[in-house]
Amino acid sequence: MWIVQLAWKNIWRNKSRTAITTTAVSFATVISMLAASLKEGIFNNLIKNIVSSYTGHVQVHLKGYQDEQVIENGFVPDSLLRKKISAMPGVASITSRLESFALVSSGETTKGCLVIGLEDQEQRGFTAMADKLIKGSYPGMQDKGLLLSEGLAFKLKKNILDTVIIIGQGYHGSSAAGKFIVKGIVSLGSPKLNDRLVVMPLAQSQQLFAADSIVTSWAILLNDDMDPYASARNIAAAGEQYEVLTWGDIMPDIKQHIEADSGNMQYVQLILYFLVGFGIFSTILIMMAERKIENGMLLALGMTKLRLQVLLLCESMFTVMMGAIVGLLLSLPVVLYLKFNPIRISGNTADVYKRFGFEPLFPTSSDPAIFLRQGLTVFVLGLVLGCYPIWVIGKMNALKAMKK
Amino acid sequence: MRGETSAANLIIRTVRPTWSREMKVRAWMKGADYSMILINAPVRDRGIVFLKRKKDVWNWVPSIEKTIKLPPSMMSQSWMGTDFTNDDLVKESSMVTDYTHVFSKDTLIDQRECYSITLLPKPEAAVVWGRLVVCIDKERMVQLHARFYDEGNELINTMNSFDIKTMDGRLIPTRFEMMPSNKKNQKTVMIYESVTFNRTMDDSFFSTDKMRYIISQ
Amino acid sequence: MIVRLAWRNIWRNKMRSMVIIASVTAGLFAGMAIMALYKGMMKSRIRTVIDTETGHIQLHAKDFLGDLDPTLFIQGDEKMIATLSADKSIKAFAKRTITAGMVSTPNGSSGVSIIGISPQEEMNVSGLGKKMRQGKLDWPAKTRGILMGKKLAKKLKIAVGEKVVITMTDTADNLISAAYRVQGIYQSANAPLDEVNVYLSRKDLQDMLGLGNQVHEIAVTLHDDTLLHSTVTRLAHQFPFLAVESWKTLSPETSLMAETVDTLSYIILVIILIALSFGIMNTMMMSILERRHEIGMMMALGMGRIPLLMLIMTETFFLTITGIPIALATGTIAIEHYAKKGMDLSGMGKEMMESFGFETMIYPDFPSDKIGFIIALVFATALASSIVPIVKSLRMDPVSALQK
Repeated sequence: MWIVQLAWKNIWRNKSRTAITTTAVSFATVISMLAASLKEGIFNNLIKNIVSSYTGHVQVHLKGYQDEQVIENGFVPDSLLRKKISAMPGVASITSRLESFALVSSGETTKGCLVIGLEDQEQRGFTAMADKLIKGSYPGMQDKGLLLSEGLAFKLKKNILDTVIIIGQGYHGSSAAGKFIVKGIVSLGSPKLNDRLVVMPLAQSQQLFAADSIVTSWAILLNDDMDPYASARNIAAAGEQYEVLTWGDIMPDIKQHIEADSGNMQYVQLILYFLVGFGIFSTILIMMAERKIENGMLLALGMTKLRLQVLLLCESMFTVMMGAIVGLLLSLPVVLYLKFNPIRISGNTADVYKRFGFEPLFPTSSDPAIFLRQGLTVFVLGLVLGCYPIWVIGKMNALKAMKK
Repeated sequence: MRGETSAANLIIRTVRPTWSREMKVRAWMKGADYSMILINAPVRDRGIVFLKRKKDVWNWVPSIEKTIKLPPSMMSQSWMGTDFTNDDLVKESSMVTDYTHVFSKDTLIDQRECYSITLLPKPEAAVVWGRLVVCIDKERMVQLHARFYDEGNELINTMNSFDIKTMDGRLIPTRFEMMPSNKKNQKTVMIYESVTFNRTMDDSFFSTDKMRYIISQ
Repeated sequence: MIVRLAWRNIWRNKMRSMVIIASVTAGLFAGMAIMALYKGMMKSRIRTVIDTETGHIQLHAKDFLGDLDPTLFIQGDEKMIATLSADKSIKAFAKRTITAGMVSTPNGSSGVSIIGISPQEEMNVSGLGKKMRQGKLDWPAKTRGILMGKKLAKKLKIAVGEKVVITMTDTADNLISAAYRVQGIYQSANAPLDEVNVYLSRKDLQDMLGLGNQVHEIAVTLHDDTLLHSTVTRLAHQFPFLAVESWKTLSPETSLMAETVDTLSYIILVIILIALSFGIMNTMMMSILERRHEIGMMMALGMGRIPLLMLIMTETFFLTITGIPIALATGTIAIEHYAKKGMDLSGMGKEMMESFGFETMIYPDFPSDKIGFIIALVFATALASSIVPIVKSLRMDPVSALQK
């Protein structure tokens, strides 16, 4: 089609003009890419921090456990199922836990606490309790020891090497009671946990609660780009007597916060599009002004308006495509760089992060979906703006246009 | 059955759809204010003692040699896995003083003629029930049946008594079954193996010091 | 002379001038919009926590919050109340008596925080009135009414008008219980809190606990969020025997979210300002490019390079000066409009958010503190970005420029 060829030639005829318009489009692409990937990256990182510190992305319980979190609703882990889940796409690690409410006592002080039995010290991916220690060390299997959370240690006025007593209700109604040595003290960001957590090896907790081989949950960590809902569905399909919950089900208030903030960001992105769109538009505007004479000439020489419009549209398309591709190519190294060398934050934000034990970093996300989406959006944007010339030509009076 | 002292050997059976457990306990009671419960079986729980003085409950656990006073947060927990809560041990709200009694039609329980009494809680009474229905054997004057309703008139718990026997000169039901309505195949059974009444029991018997030695008695 | 020439040049090519003005206007408008949105977002973000959960500041006896020990009440008196009432930053405050206890129904029991309140005070501080879903926030004399969260009511299968028994320990360590009727059911944005907080008459609770007139907590709201830090400092100074804490310490998870969004927005703002600068620069480049013939002509006619530079800069100056007020006017109108009407976030699952009691509207706030900065930035950018293309053109050989 000669129109297409002509469009192509036109573009290269005036290199500077093309360069400027293409740059406008590339810039728009890079900017939107950056904003989108930063937003995704930051929120995903926050979620990852939160779920890695305890809950995991997905949890598996016996049906009914979430509503009534008692040891009676625990289950005997099926090792075949566990292997199967481990092998599922996107699953980074899976670990067993036993959780139960009990009383911890020392001297005259008795406080309610949550006892959690953890599988092994290195819970691949989960922020190991060992990392949260501010004093002492993680108890070994033979130690008959446990970890107290900071707030609890303070209330009980206990320190390392002191003895505390755990007493409560065991499995199937038997009583649970035991003396333990405080092996270490951990600090957790959330005061709710920091005031009442007791940590010990899983086997020891099972012995304490007379809950042989019983666990109350499997906590699962997923790889970065895996969708927790999809993963939950996969797992639920594998076992009917279990309930499979995402972190959003377990911490609905945090999920709400994140979704609300995420949504707010969309408005910000809209403004961004407006801005960059305008940048593109103004270049097109000026271009059309400059080519008034040229276009008028073409019309006067007999070119139909339609053909001219198609020609200009093709030019727009080429320019936009080139700009978008260049933009994507340019943004790729930037995004990747920021992914592996995230922005370090400081000030209030950093303080809050550190308090929770999170690294104060803002990484980007290199999810291909973002690239596609942004590229597409800018492409469509450019195209829409590229229709302006069509309108101009439609209105044009050839003779008037040729008058300087 | 309450109102004086009693010392009893009991079997308490917790029945659930997938498991059941049996405990042997010895229980001393003085009025509604004092009671001491010693667990003799199963082995894992042997020697555990619960002491109630008025509204407070203490727990002695021999394996850790420690007496703990139960905080309010523990009160809602089930007592040793049964259908009774720690709170039930304490509350013992008096059927006599907290309710007004109304006689309704006589009924037949287990072929025996019974008075049927509806108990309505007095307005200030700290009880959760909307009403209770209690059936008393006319001839032997023992409670054979009780139903617990919430305010919406839904039946929540049912307690049946069986095996009326004479123990220590009294005619009493020796088997009680407590059944929650909303849970299938679940109940708690209390069986009196033996009981003695009105032996002298000093208030000082019911003390935290006595808890650790009671097992030898 | 340059000034007059600049002025004439502007009017000579209206199209080009319009485009440049529009570019500047758009840039400034976007900058204002983003700052306003950001400010509005920040406010609404923490609005939920401040207005419906913690208030801005809370005062307690030291160590009270750890255990809710009823004997740790605020050693306050008339003078304290008077001081608080007179404090200019304080909008309202609510006094509360709190203790840990249990609520029992025929269907089970649950551990709760029993909070004694004055309905009037709560309406002004925590918006409890707005959270009511059934029943009323009101206790006619002598009715022992209690308010329960929806989640708790559901768990205990209890409805308005039905009876519950509350149990707690008084200041003499006696266990006491009382029968109450559910007066109303509320729902807040924080489901976990709904399950734990029950409310009844403060006077009732004080009597039951043997507390006379004492309270455990005073929650304070301020006239403006920015007064937070200064008020905390002042109150801590006035009442050194109390723990004076802001919502940031009381609800660190919210602080985590808020800070993340805060910093993210800042980053996006920087990106937008870059985009803005680029947009203006691009436009200037286009227009200069188009004027190459004209510039070449002027140089050939003997105009020196410096005067030429001054000429273009002056033109830019005028155009920018025009663009700024337009942007300010339209921006202000838009912001004020939405500030009253609010922007609806319902695109994101309105029902779901409402079921959590979440606000779905954002109210942008005029960024009066940052506006000067934005204007200066736009101005500087416009001028600076016109320099580069001009300099490039000035380096050209007039003859080749004429030939274009």
